[in-house]
Amino acid sequence: MLRCWGPHWGWVPWAPTPWLLLSLLVCTVPFGLLGEETRQVSMEVISGWPNPQNLLHIRAVGSNSTLHYVWSSLGPPAVVLVATNTTQSVLNVNWSLLLSPDPAGALMVLPKNSIQFSSALVFTRLLEFDSTNVSEGTQPPGKPYPPYSLAKFSWNNVTNSLDLATLSAIFRGHPVDDPTGAFANGSLTFKVQAFSRSGRPAQPPRLLHTADVCQVEVALVGASPRGNHSLFGLEVATLGQGPDCPSVNEQDSIDDEYAPAVFQLNRLLWGSSPSGFMQWRPVAFSQEQRARESALACQASALHPTLAYPLPHSPIVQAFFGSQNNFCAFNLTFGAPTGPGYWDQHYLCWSMLLGIGFPPVDSFSPLVLGIMAVALGAPGLMFLGGGLFLLLRHKQYSEYQSIN
Amino acid sequence: MEEEDGEERALLGGRPEADSALQGAPRALPALCDPSHLAHRLVVLLLMCLLGFGSYFCYDNPGALQTQVKRDMQVNTTKFMLLYAWYSWPNVILCFLGGFLIDRIFGIRWGTVIFSCFVCIGQVIFALGGIFNAFWLMELGRFVFGIGGESLAVAQNTYAVSWFKGKELNLVFGLQLSMARIGSTVNMNLMGWLYGKIEASLGSAGHTTLGVTLMVGGITCILSLICALVLAYLDRRAEKILNKEQGKTGEVIKLTDIKDFSLPLMLVFIICVCYYVAVFPFIGLGKVFFIEKFRFSSQSASAINSIVYIISAPMSPIFGFLVDKTGKNIVWVLCAVATTLVAHMMLAFTFWNPWIAMCLLGFSYSLLACALWPMVAFIVPEHQLGTAYGFMQSIQNLGLAVIAILAGMILDTRGYLLLEVFFIACVSLSLLAVVFLYLVNRARGGNLNYSAKQREQMKPSHSE
Repeated sequence: MLRCWGPHWGWVPWAPTPWLLLSLLVCTVPFGLLGEETRQVSMEVISGWPNPQNLLHIRAVGSNSTLHYVWSSLGPPAVVLVATNTTQSVLNVNWSLLLSPDPAGALMVLPKNSIQFSSALVFTRLLEFDSTNVSEGTQPPGKPYPPYSLAKFSWNNVTNSLDLATLSAIFRGHPVDDPTGAFANGSLTFKVQAFSRSGRPAQPPRLLHTADVCQVEVALVGASPRGNHSLFGLEVATLGQGPDCPSVNEQDSIDDEYAPAVFQLNRLLWGSSPSGFMQWRPVAFSQEQRARESALACQASALHPTLAYPLPHSPIVQAFFGSQNNFCAFNLTFGAPTGPGYWDQHYLCWSMLLGIGFPPVDSFSPLVLGIMAVALGAPGLMFLGGGLFLLLRHKQYSEYQSIN
Repeated sequence: MEEEDGEERALLGGRPEADSALQGAPRALPALCDPSHLAHRLVVLLLMCLLGFGSYFCYDNPGALQTQVKRDMQVNTTKFMLLYAWYSWPNVILCFLGGFLIDRIFGIRWGTVIFSCFVCIGQVIFALGGIFNAFWLMELGRFVFGIGGESLAVAQNTYAVSWFKGKELNLVFGLQLSMARIGSTVNMNLMGWLYGKIEASLGSAGHTTLGVTLMVGGITCILSLICALVLAYLDRRAEKILNKEQGKTGEVIKLTDIKDFSLPLMLVFIICVCYYVAVFPFIGLGKVFFIEKFRFSSQSASAINSIVYIISAPMSPIFGFLVDKTGKNIVWVLCAVATTLVAHMMLAFTFWNPWIAMCLLGFSYSLLACALWPMVAFIVPEHQLGTAYGFMQSIQNLGLAVIAILAGMILDTRGYLLLEVFFIACVSLSLLAVVFLYLVNRARGGNLNYSAKQREQMKPSHSE
């Protein structure tokens, strides 16, 4: 198996020598440990019976493994991710059980013994804070308004937004009960996208993806905020591994070429690598044109067990994992009291990657490597060549003189 | 001769009164008012230093308030950097004209007052642009400011020559340069604080706060204008009392000289442009870089961003002395450029404490100025010096204007890493030119890299 460790360079906080930079040129494509450069990705909506339900199944088949991502807006938007070590594994849905009060066992990936890793993520609540008269950097970023429970949202039929060409689908929702009419012209969307090979989207934050990951783009568009200076946030819950919660760590990265002026990368790992991961740049955007001037800081709280209050249940998570699970939750908040914010254009967009294996690691782009190679190589070569030339000339001179 | 020595001692020892009391006794005028006296010249020196303070203070106003300007005026970095570009555009031409205007048209006194007025008016327009929330007005302000700013520096030097020639001239030049750096440093560290105070008293941040802050900053320009007026009066008075001539730059610019410029001179130009475009635009953009990448507070980001100027203030005279004593200018330039390259690479590819890199940058910047500019005098004959220096400043301004815009664009679209890599490429081009200059000089047997001893030996043979 070909393994290229070069990409890990991108994060090493010291200056690589030109030769290492050059060698990086040769191997710049990162590979996950599951190690599939390309995967056969299929995306289908599994229709429920009798009325259609949103159950989106992404199946990514590699040479010796299969990844399953099951997205659903049954209850709050949630995803179950499963990695298997065979190309033959399949998803089995028992609809009548899934729609019953106790859905345990309604969702199965078969054969069961091929499962290498499984976890789940639930987007439970949309948070809103009043950030007037709040100084920068405080947590929470203001007085909280009552949050919107995403379990009480109604969602569009995802079949209509399924785009097999780009392997994407959009869940668009608004509260079922909206007495103030805040969502009269607004919606919250989750755009889910899968990839058959590694690459990078054109829009910032341009997260590097492999064939092993799924990208989620959360956008809040057009909803009326409850104050003039509202900051929004998202509560995300995940399955805890044992008694402890996984942790979100923030890494420094010297490379901000794809997300200008963002020098951090946040990552949540379920257990030790290779396992599942969530990865994002701590940046959101307040305008559809995601330029640097509309960039908002994105703060993630630490994960904490959710014993204090009941989380809305996600039927698909219960269906796969059973009902006895301990959840951990954390909050993401977007923006700061000063600077750009949701109030500018009533727009907020944030992207993250969800995947299995080793998280994709950015490496220097060929442009950076090329410029550096030329910039350091040219004066060096000139010095060497010139020195040699002068030396030879000097020799010739002295020979000439000696003959004379 | 003896009197001169005495004055030199007094200036260094800082006890001018003692000396003046001894020598000035028989004269009617008190020492402070006697133009021929050291004490009086010290007053003039103080005024000369303050003359440039306003323009140097306000030049880097945008850099010190980068976050605020971008937020309050709602502009991206590309547009923000136009504020620097607009300063440089008029100077592409004025570098040739400044000396001519002072010598032939205005005279040194009126010239200084007029250029000071341009600086003042420019800063006021700049501030009004903030108050009226019109970015184009701010750009216009910087343009007008630019017309005055660089020519004022020429006028300042002319005054220095006229009052101190044959006396403490080098020291005076050094002091003026130090004062300029102090102006920049004070600006970097003061403006953010001032903005905070005005924000508190006005109740909110916004374009009005920005405008008022800039207007208050403009007080330094008024101060400089007052200095210009007082200097003009004193200069006229001295002319009457001592029957001396009005100071002239003596610069003769002949554009036809340009075709005679030699390859080494061209290389010096390339070194100069490629080097300075990697320093000044970087400092203009630096504050936010230190906040975003190294998570510095606004205050410490200002402090580190001004360290280059702080170091340069005391080190310029020291390095100047060093280069004078040792010669070998090309080697010194090579060291300075290579050190700058290392500093930029540290900033780009590491999270090491940026104080290290910025101090390196400060030292190398001071060293380069001392070793590079005098080289021009070794290359071109004296009657072409004016043209050569004018041309050098002109293309430096052209480079700064173009690169400022380019740097803003790179930053907005590709981020700081690529911006740093771009600066590295510029410095490396400069390094390439230095190496090439060394080789050309070696091959042609030029005098650029002579040690001080060799230069000493050359002198008598020339005069023979």
